[in-house]
Amino acid sequence: MNTWFIVAAVVVLAFLGAPLFTLIGGIALYAFDSQGIDTSSVIIDLYRIAETPTLIAIPLFTFAGYLLAESKSPQRLVALARAVFGWIPGGLAIVVLVTCAFFTAFTGASGVTIVALGGILYPLLIKESYPEQFSLGLVTSSGSIGLLFPPSLPIIMYGIIAEVSIDQMFVAGIIPGFLLVGLIALYSVRVGVRSRVPTIPFSWTNLRAAVKGAAWEIPLPFIIVGGIYGGAFTATEASAVTAFYVLVVVAFIYRDMNLTKDVPRVMKESMVLVGAILAILGTALGLTNYLIDEQVPQQLFEFVQSNVESRFAFLLILNLFLLIVGMMMDIFSAIIVVVPLILPIARAFNIDPLHLGIIFLTNLEIGYLTPPVGLNLFLSGLRFEKPILEIARSVLVFIALMLSALLVITYLPELSLWLVQLFGTR
Amino acid sequence: MKLLQRVDELIGRGEGALLIVLLSIMVVLSFAQVVLRNLFSESLLWGEIFLRHMVLWIGFLGAARATGEGRHITIDAFTRFLSPRMKLVARILTNAFAVTICFFLMKASLKFLADEVESGSTLHGDVPSWYSQIIIPVGFALIIIHFLVRIARGVHSFRTGAIEK
Repeated sequence: MNTWFIVAAVVVLAFLGAPLFTLIGGIALYAFDSQGIDTSSVIIDLYRIAETPTLIAIPLFTFAGYLLAESKSPQRLVALARAVFGWIPGGLAIVVLVTCAFFTAFTGASGVTIVALGGILYPLLIKESYPEQFSLGLVTSSGSIGLLFPPSLPIIMYGIIAEVSIDQMFVAGIIPGFLLVGLIALYSVRVGVRSRVPTIPFSWTNLRAAVKGAAWEIPLPFIIVGGIYGGAFTATEASAVTAFYVLVVVAFIYRDMNLTKDVPRVMKESMVLVGAILAILGTALGLTNYLIDEQVPQQLFEFVQSNVESRFAFLLILNLFLLIVGMMMDIFSAIIVVVPLILPIARAFNIDPLHLGIIFLTNLEIGYLTPPVGLNLFLSGLRFEKPILEIARSVLVFIALMLSALLVITYLPELSLWLVQLFGTR
Repeated sequence: MKLLQRVDELIGRGEGALLIVLLSIMVVLSFAQVVLRNLFSESLLWGEIFLRHMVLWIGFLGAARATGEGRHITIDAFTRFLSPRMKLVARILTNAFAVTICFFLMKASLKFLADEVESGSTLHGDVPSWYSQIIIPVGFALIIIHFLVRIARGVHSFRTGAIEK
């Protein structure tokens, strides 16, 4: 069959909304078959899912994240963040950023953040007389703001696909993550001061009550980050501890979630996402293996090398390319399909795979906000019943801020690598 | 039509129940492994293997649920702008494509399974590998059933003009 015909068919089917795993699987089957290799090779590669120990982290962290999102944790964390930041002009905006970042990190930017937190935070922002467009933009962009913080699922996925240590990736994302949050926080404070939003006076009694309220959630980031930094356990072990801990906390200590009713429902719900991700991963393993056998990354590399000379230019092109990828694809498919292709090229330009991962994820984080695919735009549209165009306009400022952070992250590799070296985890 | 939906629901319930059981075991067992490793500096080797294979099972059962609920990852940027009727046509078409691919994937996995049975490979001790690998063809079969039911439902509502969702 004609190759161009197949390419056209795949593109048309993709735009008609065919499940991506069937497209990837179809290409893999065709590729192996046309080389005269038995198609059971596709399954041999798929079976690697059962041979990759780090993959256990995916169902465990997803379950923990969904459990937190469905419990009363969002309310408790918002109360805590308000007690800490409420006295700052623009403090509520910082509350939005901090709580959303926490939730995105735990739910892996699957859109749960906007659904779980948006409904609480958006009305609060409006009530405290923040400008409507700003509030909408802030809540929408915050839906993916914590992507670079552990234990976010895209970081784990990148670690698995690029075959770099997930522990190191967790550490590498921290400073760039704070840069993104910090930049938007500064802008928000400015808006807060300008619109003369009311502030809540700081009170120790309030803070004490809020800390007491969220006493069991506060240790979570420390368990994960501390455990990994301190060398007590690996990312995979952290996922086991987190899932168990969160289950005990929401089902037995806070009793937000009924062990026989709510917990099974959340288990099923969260595993649908895991199944959808693993279906893509499983079929893509075969395709990637085929592409490497056919030396496609090698050819791509030679093509890039003969056209792009400097590392500076390569990084710029890489960012433009990834922004387009982020506009068209969801984050998991993008990591699974694109990373194996660009990793060897980036290596040749002397870009650390950890740094590449952070660049990659930052681009895709921006992709959540850009039409036509931008998941956050649509989720926000549904959640707040606003036209997509109005939401797209409201996030423009935030995209600009994130793009400037992206430039810094791209051209200052130390931001991603310094902590990793400091902790000697390499 | 009603019977088909009943069957689909029943299978879905089975998948869900199995997912809950597997994930519950996974949460407890993986935590127990961490405790064993850190406090007693030993761990169960079979536990490690068991956990890894549970990921495979959870993946396939989850993918079957994603099919049943129409929640696979797709590029939906363009179908958003189609009319409900055109959306239905696109859904029938892409689901038919999906069935075809999953059929060939199932065929490939049956061949894979037969090879594995023949080679007599084991997971741990004398437990044969195919005890776990069987989920691959079974999983694709479940996915095919859900896709077929979705096609039937799509065609049905196209003909009666009743557009759901």
